[in-house]
Amino acid sequence: MNWQIHLPALLIAVPLLGAFAAPAFANRRLRDVWFTVMIAATTVIAFLLWRRVGTEGIVVYVMGGENWRLTLPSGMKLPIRIIMEVDAFSAFMALSGSIVSFAGAIFSLRFLDRTTGGEKFVALYFLLTAGMLGMETTGDLFNFFVFLEIASVASYGLIAFWRNTPEAIEASFKYMLLSTIAALMVLIGVGILYGRYGALNMAAIAKSMRLGLPEKVALALFVAALAMKCGAVPLHMWVPDAYSQAPAGISCFLVSVSQASLYGLFRISFSVYGRALDTPAVAWIIIVFGILSMFIAVVMAVIQKEVKRLMAYHAVSQTGYMLLGVGVGLLALTHPQAMSEYGFTAMQGGIFHIINHAMYKGLLFLTAGSIFYASGTLDLNRLGGLARNMPYTTVMFVVSAAAIAGLPPVNGFVSKLLVYESSFAVHPILTVMALVTSILTLASFVKVFQSAFLGPARARFSEVREVPRSMLVGMTVLLVAILWLSFMPTWSLSKLVGPAAQALVDQAGYIEAIMRSGL
Amino acid sequence: MMLGTVQSGFGYWNVYAWIVFFALAAVLVFYFRSAGRSDYKVGTYQDEIFYGGNPVPKDGDEIAVPASSAYWGFTEALSPFYKLLLSLHTGIASDYVGYLVVTTALISALIVL
Repeated sequence: MNWQIHLPALLIAVPLLGAFAAPAFANRRLRDVWFTVMIAATTVIAFLLWRRVGTEGIVVYVMGGENWRLTLPSGMKLPIRIIMEVDAFSAFMALSGSIVSFAGAIFSLRFLDRTTGGEKFVALYFLLTAGMLGMETTGDLFNFFVFLEIASVASYGLIAFWRNTPEAIEASFKYMLLSTIAALMVLIGVGILYGRYGALNMAAIAKSMRLGLPEKVALALFVAALAMKCGAVPLHMWVPDAYSQAPAGISCFLVSVSQASLYGLFRISFSVYGRALDTPAVAWIIIVFGILSMFIAVVMAVIQKEVKRLMAYHAVSQTGYMLLGVGVGLLALTHPQAMSEYGFTAMQGGIFHIINHAMYKGLLFLTAGSIFYASGTLDLNRLGGLARNMPYTTVMFVVSAAAIAGLPPVNGFVSKLLVYESSFAVHPILTVMALVTSILTLASFVKVFQSAFLGPARARFSEVREVPRSMLVGMTVLLVAILWLSFMPTWSLSKLVGPAAQALVDQAGYIEAIMRSGL
Repeated sequence: MMLGTVQSGFGYWNVYAWIVFFALAAVLVFYFRSAGRSDYKVGTYQDEIFYGGNPVPKDGDEIAVPASSAYWGFTEALSPFYKLLLSLHTGIASDYVGYLVVTTALISALIVL
């Protein structure tokens, strides 16, 4: 039997094994080896799964059944078991998230030498990885909620990892409070749909979906809760606190974890509700979330004086591009002409921006971590002249800052270009807001570059040296990904982004993959 | 499809054209740099920063513009807007929960009605 049929299960099982075995590795060297090997294995599995989905189409995996593909056993009309459904969008998200997870883990190895409780960090990191990948590959709404909670609980611990600082505890508490309410909203939404359709499987619910009042209430709860989890304005308040207080490797990874909630928002909007949506309200809500997130967050970023806090606001701002792009796609979903003219391009732009943002924002947070590791501060008023002492980190920062500002020829430009041009077809003001956001993004990263890396040498940083090699390796992983996405845009669009956008639009294909597997 | 060309449906963009552009710009930059004089005397006044004729402070802190002064005009011009934004970012958890509840209610009304 081909072992690769079990890739969806392995994608969750390997990080879970990594998490549960991690406390046994009290020895630092063994712990580092375990951390590296298991996170690398997870990334390889995500890559193999993405490749398999690319060649064979949607991969369905039934857990606990007599046959891994039998979704409807014994004449059942509805699927009941834990079913994973991995289409090109899921595989794309899992691949993107696992690359960032790998880079964050490698970067964190030397960070852990400065603290105790490293094995707890590793265990929580693997749990966070499993939660994120589970959210992105499950075909079941309740399991989505379970994985959301696994990721959330791991996040609380990791955000508060520097537990001797009250700010970290406070940031974690705020995130926990908001996340708990959001999770309850998701659970109520799942309960409403279960009460209506007697099913938890997304494809089964989508097949029977008739948009009545309960379904609309459930959708409103999903949209609000997942918008909060992905950090959309005005529900973004937890993001600057959490991202700035977490260790740098975690801040880097939290970008991808937040995108798993974005994935959930898009999956529910397109695959569960999809063509049953007889109102443009949801699409416009997502577009407005996008515009508010882009503009408000970047304006807030300009005035920040702490590097990670500034970057955290930019994480919110960049999420706006994704919401805008995919929101425009949702607006065009039931209009074939609009979809072919601009809707699909907008979706490609939004989805391309997901992986671009994961890579360059991840790298930016790692460069911030390097600055802190080497200089002991992230205060822009105290930093300066570091380019002399940290040349590699400077190069990493320049490339990733150019990417986030959307400067050609770096990858951020391509995805933004697609969003600009397609959103213009809906209304020019959308493009104007996106362009203004991009200019302010450039302005704030010029400020960081000038304040932290350029300028005369500071006496207090005369002893500062470049960070250890493993941290540079972690950053290099993301740098290579950025350069690959920048210099191979046609490959990225045709192999990575296009199939993911097509999978999201193809609601019938998503439903059929589950409902035909029992035959 | 031409290598490196992205079709947006409204136009196209080619990454390699930009790389060629940057390569040409880099060649020009290195040419101008190589045209500079290299026969200056290291360790003399020829090697020093010109700081308005004053002695150059030893610590960079004394001649650096702090980050908090960056974009002063921009933030000053938008100060009423910033005042509003900062008043919303209270840092108080119960306020954040309130935003979530109000936003959820608003979204529910927009979708249901």
